[in-house]
Amino acid sequence: MSVDNNIWLSAEAYVAGNMPEAELAALRERLSADAVFAAEFHESVNLIRALDNNGAQKRFSAMLQDISSTRAGKATPARTIPLKAHYWRTGAVAAGIALLTSLTTLWVVQHNNKRIASQYSLLRRDLEKYKRSQNQLITNIQKETTTPAAEASYTGTGFALTNDGYLVTNYHVTEGADSVYIQNAEGKYYKAFVVNYDQQNDVAILKVEDKRFRFGKGEVPYLLAPNKRKIGARVYSLGFPEDAIVYNEGYISSKNGYQGDSMQYKMQIESRPGQSGAPVLDATGNVIAIITGKESESEGTTYAVSSKAVLQLIHTLPKGNNVKLAKANKLGKLTLEQQIERLEQYTCSVSVYKK
Amino acid sequence: MNTELNIERDLLDGLARGERLATEQIYTRHYPTITKWIQNNGGTEPDAADIYQESMLILYEKAQQEEFRLSCKVGTYLFSISKHLWYKRLQQLQKQPGTLADHSGDESRKEWAYEDDISAHKEREAYYTQLNLALEQLGEPCRSLLQAFYHNDKSMQEIAADFGYTNPDNAKTQKYKCLTRLKKIFYGVQAK
Repeated sequence: MSVDNNIWLSAEAYVAGNMPEAELAALRERLSADAVFAAEFHESVNLIRALDNNGAQKRFSAMLQDISSTRAGKATPARTIPLKAHYWRTGAVAAGIALLTSLTTLWVVQHNNKRIASQYSLLRRDLEKYKRSQNQLITNIQKETTTPAAEASYTGTGFALTNDGYLVTNYHVTEGADSVYIQNAEGKYYKAFVVNYDQQNDVAILKVEDKRFRFGKGEVPYLLAPNKRKIGARVYSLGFPEDAIVYNEGYISSKNGYQGDSMQYKMQIESRPGQSGAPVLDATGNVIAIITGKESESEGTTYAVSSKAVLQLIHTLPKGNNVKLAKANKLGKLTLEQQIERLEQYTCSVSVYKK
Repeated sequence: MNTELNIERDLLDGLARGERLATEQIYTRHYPTITKWIQNNGGTEPDAADIYQESMLILYEKAQQEEFRLSCKVGTYLFSISKHLWYKRLQQLQKQPGTLADHSGDESRKEWAYEDDISAHKEREAYYTQLNLALEQLGEPCRSLLQAFYHNDKSMQEIAADFGYTNPDNAKTQKYKCLTRLKKIFYGVQAK
């Protein structure tokens, strides 16, 4: 037991740094000579150091906690000042004036409120008008076109989530569909089904039925941005308003979309029917949003739902769906033309058939 | 300018020693800017206070190194650490399968240096957690005795009085016994 004591005694002195020179020298000698003792001693020293530091850190933490709570408490020191008798008259006059002022203010405020209320309803009616004028970008395809089966049908745009056939488009494109086909860059049709959708954010995830289907060579070259981009960011989109893919460019004009929807962006970018579900990318090739609708009253004002909504939807997929998103953005260093060339493979047109 | 630096160094020295006055001054000086930044970036007020506290703790740990104290701009350091901690927290909050941090908007590569301090801090926290687990396993009176000495910074005299030992030397012998047992538990656990 006394051997133990000795180890701890010298370890403590060693850590504190108050060991006499001679003892320190003797200790060093023994440490280099006796490996078993050295290991034992180092463990002891480490333990004491850890305990010391942990204690100091705990005390520091507690002090920080105390500082922050006293700072919070400082704001409300309650203090009462007794009112002397000879101030009562002045006090009464002051109170009278205060009463008068507050009554007047109340009257004025109420009066004004009526006017504001009438402006408010006007404003709302305006919004109603906008609501009616927001068109969903779906084209009516005529019956004669050469598509697999043809009743009434719509087209939109979709883009790949994974190379093996998961893709994203708008919910309103697939709404009420009997069957959904996608047409890839080579013009071939593939049957797809809806895996999951989010009606509120207007996003749907589809999967191509054919297990051998691949969008292109290798993994999807872009990432889905988890955060919203800032106003003014340059963006571009690729979509299928006609048979061939069409490029458009513009900028983010507002961080919130239709009626202040924080899941959406408002963008100044041209969009036409058929571009619903088209990806919107930033300059470095991250998908930041999906085009969902436009304002028909003003030219070029487009609403796009943030890629955050897609990430959320992926998160809610049942476990059987193995959606492995790309891990790296391979577009960042390419020129715009090269980016588009790569993207074309991973963008497709979505055709929907209804009875 | 020189005096400004000197004042800052003195404050930092004080903070490293755990002095309240210096700590309070540093805390108060940088609190508004940093917590406001966090709130502007999607944090609530409690979030901001929480992150700020953690940054102060990392500053305290880092300030134990003398060469750091000589070269550090406290405000810049705290701000960068807070920023990193907050980004990390944000990432955790929106953790989704397959999502990775997107580096497209990231301009300041040099700030990655702060990552080291943060990961060192996390490692140390994990180490302390293990240490405290071992302490819990120790049982009474060892646990209370060691906590009184190391965590609450009590002297051996006080401990002898509190725990009913006849004199400080007896308490000290008991402390060494406890340390020996703690060492066995702690390194036994670590060895696994």
